[in-house]
Parts: sequence; structure tokens; C-alpha cells
Amino acid sequence: MTLLKEYIVPRLIQWAIVIFIGVSLTFLIPRMSPINPIDQAMGRLTAFQTLSPEATLALRQSLMDLYGLEGNLLTQYLNFWGRVLRGDLGPSFSAFPTTVADMIGSGIWWTIGLLGLSTIIAWTLGLVLGGLAGYFPDRWWSKAVENTLVSIYPIPYYIVAFILLMLFTYYLPIFPLVGGSRGTASFSWSYIGSLVYYGFLPALSLVIGATAFRFIMSKALASTERSSDYVRFAEIAALPKRRIVFRYVIRNTMLPQVTDLALSLAAIFEGALITEVVFGYPGLGYLLLNAINASDYNMIMGITLLSIVGIATASLLVDLCYPLIDPRVRYR
Amino acid sequence: MFSRLVLAGLLTAAIGLPVGGAMAQPSGLPVDVPREQLFVSDQILRYNVVGNYNFWVLGPQNPTRHAMFLETLWIRDQETGALVNDAASAPPQYNDDYTQMSVELRDNIFWSDGVQFTADDLVYTIETLKSTPELGANGWHAQLNQFVESVEKTGDHSVTFTLTEPNARFHSLFEARWNGIYMMPKHVFEEVEDLATFTNNPPVVLGTYIPVQADPNGFWELYERREDWERSPAGVETNNPGPENILSIFYGDSTRKAIAMSRGELDVYFDADFEAFQETLDTTPTARSWYQEFPWAYPNEVSSRQFVFNQENDPVFANKDVRWALALALDIVELQTEYIGGVVKVTPIPVPPTGELVSLYHEPLEEWLIDLEIDLGNGEMYKPYDPTVPDRIAEWAEGQGYDVPGTPREVFGSGWWKFDPEAAEALLVKNGFSRDGSGQWLKPDGEPWVLSLQSPPDENDAFRMANAASDMWTDFGIQVDLQGPERSVWDQNHIEGQFQVSTPWYSFALASGDAWPEIRGWHPDFYVPVGEDYRSLGGNNFQRINDPRVGELIDAMAAVEPGSEENHELVTDFLKHWTEEMYFITTISFKKFVTWDERYWTGFPTAENPERMPLYWFQGGKYTFQSLRPVAE
Repeated sequence: MTLLKEYIVPRLIQWAIVIFIGVSLTFLIPRMSPINPIDQAMGRLTAFQTLSPEATLALRQSLMDLYGLEGNLLTQYLNFWGRVLRGDLGPSFSAFPTTVADMIGSGIWWTIGLLGLSTIIAWTLGLVLGGLAGYFPDRWWSKAVENTLVSIYPIPYYIVAFILLMLFTYYLPIFPLVGGSRGTASFSWSYIGSLVYYGFLPALSLVIGATAFRFIMSKALASTERSSDYVRFAEIAALPKRRIVFRYVIRNTMLPQVTDLALSLAAIFEGALITEVVFGYPGLGYLLLNAINASDYNMIMGITLLSIVGIATASLLVDLCYPLIDPRVRYR
Repeated sequence: MFSRLVLAGLLTAAIGLPVGGAMAQPSGLPVDVPREQLFVSDQILRYNVVGNYNFWVLGPQNPTRHAMFLETLWIRDQETGALVNDAASAPPQYNDDYTQMSVELRDNIFWSDGVQFTADDLVYTIETLKSTPELGANGWHAQLNQFVESVEKTGDHSVTFTLTEPNARFHSLFEARWNGIYMMPKHVFEEVEDLATFTNNPPVVLGTYIPVQADPNGFWELYERREDWERSPAGVETNNPGPENILSIFYGDSTRKAIAMSRGELDVYFDADFEAFQETLDTTPTARSWYQEFPWAYPNEVSSRQFVFNQENDPVFANKDVRWALALALDIVELQTEYIGGVVKVTPIPVPPTGELVSLYHEPLEEWLIDLEIDLGNGEMYKPYDPTVPDRIAEWAEGQGYDVPGTPREVFGSGWWKFDPEAAEALLVKNGFSRDGSGQWLKPDGEPWVLSLQSPPDENDAFRMANAASDMWTDFGIQVDLQGPERSVWDQNHIEGQFQVSTPWYSFALASGDAWPEIRGWHPDFYVPVGEDYRSLGGNNFQRINDPRVGELIDAMAAVEPGSEENHELVTDFLKHWTEEMYFITTISFKKFVTWDERYWTGFPTAENPERMPLYWFQGGKYTFQSLRPVAE
């Protein structure tokens, strides 16, 4: 009961407050931007043609009605919460009449697939390679992996991505230039194969950088663990090295990495803007960029809402699980 | 040993997956259509409304799509200036007082489901657009209600419009430069309960191609040719089947388009920056643009680029002498060659020197331009026009080792203003400007002159033009603050007048030579002062020009027939007035590196075969697609 009252409930309240504040700020900030969605839409819709002045005025009024931007800020804010609670995020202004839910629905699975997989692969690779390199610091392969990853780590992501793009689409043109798959979606091997084929290069670019980061972190932690008494006793007891590394050293380095994994997975909902732009890959990042440029309030709020809820929930889960994972931080 | 196994396994997984995938799918194209049956065109933007082919509501984007399957009554070709019949079979006919317009329709075209196109479709289209406010695309609902009293079928393939007031330009709603009112299939649409939410998917079309597959993320769309292609307007007009399939695909930036073409995965791109175009020529020997050699690019899209001034942000720009001084401080030859690469035409008036427009406006105005004088002060009159500009650009081109494919005027446009900093200085001194000890200009109030110039970097030529002006005006002694805001910010800065000098694009004449539809937004009736949205009365005058003479000329044009000699004289007078006032410093016309690869397909229009415009993403692009032939033939 004490656990519920003094640990779980306050964190749940904190979670709700974070989401409320985050969503309210997301509602307000785009409206403080000098960019107006009606003007942007007018610009797009009339970019190629000349309208009569009367038609221009009619179009403007029509957009105000369709976008639901009539009324003062408070009215819009109350309407907004009403819609959020009903699960209706409204139409996208930049892709009208498509709804925000449809737009997010078409982008999110690509993002989850690409970022989810690459995050898990990079996390696992970084953890294992870092653990091995930390425990076997003098082996040739350990030094080779460390030198390679430490050299890659400082290179800005977009440069890595661009190099991969040029290497494997131009000089050695084996990967596609644009898109997420071939043909229309189906449960056939050819379609699934195309998903892997189209996603490989963007995923590789993400894995390279993220692995290097986690490798450095994991190696530092493993080096500390290596000099711990329990490792020394295990070695004296002649336990197999493999068992010492995987059962004890890496396991003990995982704790901060689990937090990092949870938050990284939650951040998936923000999308991978640079990856999507460089590789022409579908997903939420590109949607968000377009939404910001077009002042597409509804789309900005939809994606940010997802991100705020995702990260706040991941933090909450990590908080709640910590006492279970680590006996040292178990609550009283 | 174990660690080696782990590493080997990871490497195998990393390398094996894509190679396996690549072997299964050797092509980077997203569709399974034999390459020899597929024409691949550059999609100028990523469609963000997918699977919705209701182009009468606000939202679905029309570039390329309207060339594939949407029809209007007439197309105005920008290369030839000709009026091409689309769903109509003859030009519009007006009665004597322009209160009625009659249209004859083709009797040999059919919808893709086999139903014949008739006058009923046109009447239904007009009445439905008029009565349905939700069909708000392109302002057609509002304009038809404004202009059309009634529409009546006078035969199976003839229709008469009765107008609310005399209007000699009513047909322009159905005459596509970019697009014109799209015909609706009455037999399909009349069955629909709510046209506002109808997605029209799969569509019944009057054009040659039907969309059959689309990427849900908007990167590409695949079209299939109708079996009865010869019963579509473009089929009738060209009598050529065209490709069996067309894939429009969005690759993004210029670099990726150049790579795609080198891989044989793109047959035409609509434009690229100069460097990417040169890369295409190097990597794709079968690629070319309008000209086979220098200056390569297509020069005849009817638009021009200019520096424009906010007349109310800083009072100095309301003074025409200041605007003239800024023009004379620009070296157009250096701008056109060193900054743009010599690949565009020059023009001093806001009408590009293309096809018919040269003979309509540029040649007749030449003598007037040569004789034009401006007052430098102290009674000294000065002739600012330099007719030798195209010759000097041609000299530069020959110096670079290029052959000029025609006369300098054909290739590089008309003359321009002299580069004469001394005359520019005289104009400024006349108006109370002075220089400080370091040679920098001070405004009449003694404050340093800091000129703010805004140009969005995503528009390559405009931004390069702005850089040229920034350098030249800086050399002249003006402190230039060149800003390159995002397009959305740039757009927004114009709304309430938060700019001094900017780089938009305009053409004050259509390919037909008429100007009124393009300039009526500058009528003083629509003038709105700085601080308020310039469009709040419906005009498009973000420069805040408030000139009664402009209003008089626009009113006079409205009252005459667009093709009449009287209208031509009024447009000419308007251009003279605009030039004397130097409201815009117009510099160059549009150019596009519309580039196609002749590896698989041939038949695109070229400088040697200029029978139509190559602007395939316009509604009139349908004839370009339809004219293609496989190289294997």
C-alpha cells in the first residue's frame, strides 16, 4: 500500500502533468509562429495560377472553415482538448482532406520498423561489443573494433548517411534511391524482401553511429566491472571467460543501458528526419518537417502528442521497473 | 574463437541480407513493369494526398496527374503560343457584346469506361461546381458563380454559356496554362451522394492514362495506358499510342535525380541545379535538355524573375530614381554569365522573351527602349538602355568555347539597362543621398543605407540572382543584408510587408499575349497598406504599389477583347509605364533543365523539334507524353 501511495501514484500524477503541459505547449507554440497555415495553404493552392480577387477571398474563407480555425485561441484550445479526448486529431492542413490520424498511420510503421529495429540492433551490438572489448582490452580484435568505432563516432550523422548513399547507390549501385518498399503491401516473400532491401541502407547508417555511442559507454562500464572483486573471484574459481562476460560483466553493465534503450525506443515517435530526407524513406520525421514548414498545427500536435506520451510513458515504466531490476534502488 | 564466430555471424547477416534482396530485385524502381514498356518521369513533389482523385475539392495535388488523365476545353502551349483543342473541337465563340460564349466539343472522345463524352458532361460539371461550395479547388466554384448566369446544352456536342456581365476572357477558366476546369464524368458523379468526401478512386478518366498503383507515402504513382487510347484528346491529337505505362516518381534533390538518370531509373527530370545537370551530361551519354549543347536548358516557360520593392517599408524605395539607380548599379552580363552560367534569356520588362511574346512586345518596344530617357538631375537626360547585351553574352559564351545555337537575341534575349555606376550615383545624389568617408552610401536623413534583400534559397536562379545583386550593390557602396529564409517564412514576410527588396517571379503576359488576368491584382482597388494582409481585398500587390494610371490601363483592358489590337496597345502602354516607373527590376526569364534520357524513349520536343512545350507536369504535358516512342522502334 505504501508502495502504491508513495511511489506509484505520485509518478502517475507526474506523468499526467507532463503530458498536459507538453500538449498545451504544443498547442500554443505553433500559433506563436509568424507562419500562418491559411497563408501557406493559399500559397500552395495558387502557386501555379492566377485567381480572380473574388475567388481569392472565397478560397480564404473556405480554408478558415475547413481547417477549424474560426474562433479565439481559448475556443480553439477547448475544441482541441475535446477532439484529443475523442481520439480525433482533425485534418492535416498540408494534406487536406486527409486526416492527421491517416497520415500518422501511414508513416508510423515505417518509423517503428526502421528506428525500432536499428535501435535494438545498435543497442545489442554496442552492449556486446563494448562488454567484450572492456573485458578483453588487449586482444587485437578488441583494439580494431574500438579504433574503428571511436573513429566513426565523431563523424556527424548526415555525413555518414551521405557517404553510404553515394557509395551504394551511385559508385556501387546496388541499393534503391528512394522509397520504403517495392509494389503494394502484401504478406509475400518478395514484398518482405523488398522491405529489407529498401530499409537496409538507412538502417545501416543509423546502426553505425548508435553502435559506436553505445560501444563507448558499454566498454567504459565493462572496464570498471572487470576490476570488481566478483570478477576476480570468478576468474580465480576458473569459471569460463564466456560465462564471466555474458552472465556477470555485461549483465551488470546493462542497468543504465536499459534506461537509454527505453528512452531511445520512445523517441522513435519523433521520427528520423535526416535519415528520411537523405534516403528518401517514408516516416514521421519528414511529416513533421513538412508540418512545421506549412504551420500544419494539427499534424504538429499529432506527432508531438505521440512523442510526449511515448517518452513520458517510457520514463514512467523505467521508473516503475527500476526497483524490480536493481535491488540496490529497491524502494525501502 | 567464440568472439570470432560472433563477429563473422554479424558480418554475414549485415552483408547477406541486402545482397540477397538486391539479387531478387535488381532494379531500384518500385514497380514490376518491363523497362521497355515503362516511361519514368520525375514527380515534382511528393504527393501528400494519396488515393484521392477528386481534384475538384481542396487538397489533392495536380502536377503531372492532370497531364495524365484530366481534361479541360483548351490548352495554351507555352512554346508555340498556340491554342490547342482539348475536349473542345474549336476555339470559343462569343456573341457581339460578350455576354454569351458558345463551345463546340469533340464528338470522338470517350471516358475510360466506354461512355462517350458529350455536352451533358460539360453542363453537369458547371452546374455541379456552381452549386457545391465544398468543391473549392482552384477557385472555380467562386468564379463560375461570379461569371455564369446559366449554361445550356444546344446539341449533343455544343454548349452555350450565358454570362452575368460582358466578359471577353471567360474562356480563360477553360484554357490551361497550368490547368483549366476539369471535366467531370456525369454518369459517375451523379450517382455520388457526397461529392465533398468522394475520393474518385479508381477514377473514370477522359485522358489517356489511368492511375493503377500508388505508393501510400506519396513517392510514386503508376499509370497504365487505356486500351482505347485513340479515343482520348491527346490520342486524337497525336495519333501516337505513347508508352504503355508511366511511372511518376519523386527522387528529391538534384543530386539524386542525376544519380537516378545515370542508373537508367529516370527518363525525364523537370529541373536540376546547374552542377547536377552537368553531372548528368557526364554520367549519362544519352541524356540531353532542350538544346543538345550550350545553353542546354529550356528557355521558354512563360515567366520572368525580378527584384521588387516594398514601397512602404522604407520611403527610399517609393522613389523611382532610387529604383533606377539600383538597376544601373547591376551588371546584367556578369549576373547572367558568372552567376547563372549563361543559360537564361535577359529581359528588361516583366514579360519573358519567348516565342510569340518577342514579336508581340520585345521587338515593337525595342525602339522605345533605345529612346527612353531618365533625368539624372541638373537637366541632364540619360538613355539607360543597352541593346548590345545579348551580343556581349554571346562573346562571353564563345570565349568559354561554346557555340551559340542561333542569333544572340534568339538565345540570350533582349537588351537591358547599362551597367553605369556613375549614372546611378547621379540619381542618388539628385535625391539627397551622400557617401560617408569610407564611400558607403548614406540616406537623405544621414543614416547609413542598409538594404535588406530576401530570397529563398530553394529557388536556385532567384537566389543566385540575389547573390549577384548583393555583391554588385555592395561594390557600389550600399550595405546589403542578404537573407535566405525558408520558403514559408519568405512567403509570410510578404503578407504584411516585412521586407524591403525581394525576388519573386511573374509574367505580365500569357503565352497568348493577353495581360489583364496576370496584372489585375495591381489595380488600386485592391491596394492594401503595409501592416495588413495584402490579399485581404483579393489582390496580389505585395509591393504596395498604388498607382491610378495602372488602374486606368487595367480597366481599359478589361473592356476589350484579349486578342484585339486595342488590347495589344493597352498592354504595350502598361509595360512602358511600368518600365518608366521601374516598379520591378526584371532581369532574366525562367529556364528549366528539363532533361531526358533517350536510352529507352524518344520523341520529346527539342530546340530542333519545337512543336510543343516540354513542360510535362503542366496539364498540357499530356501531348508530350503521348508523343513518346520507344527507342527500339
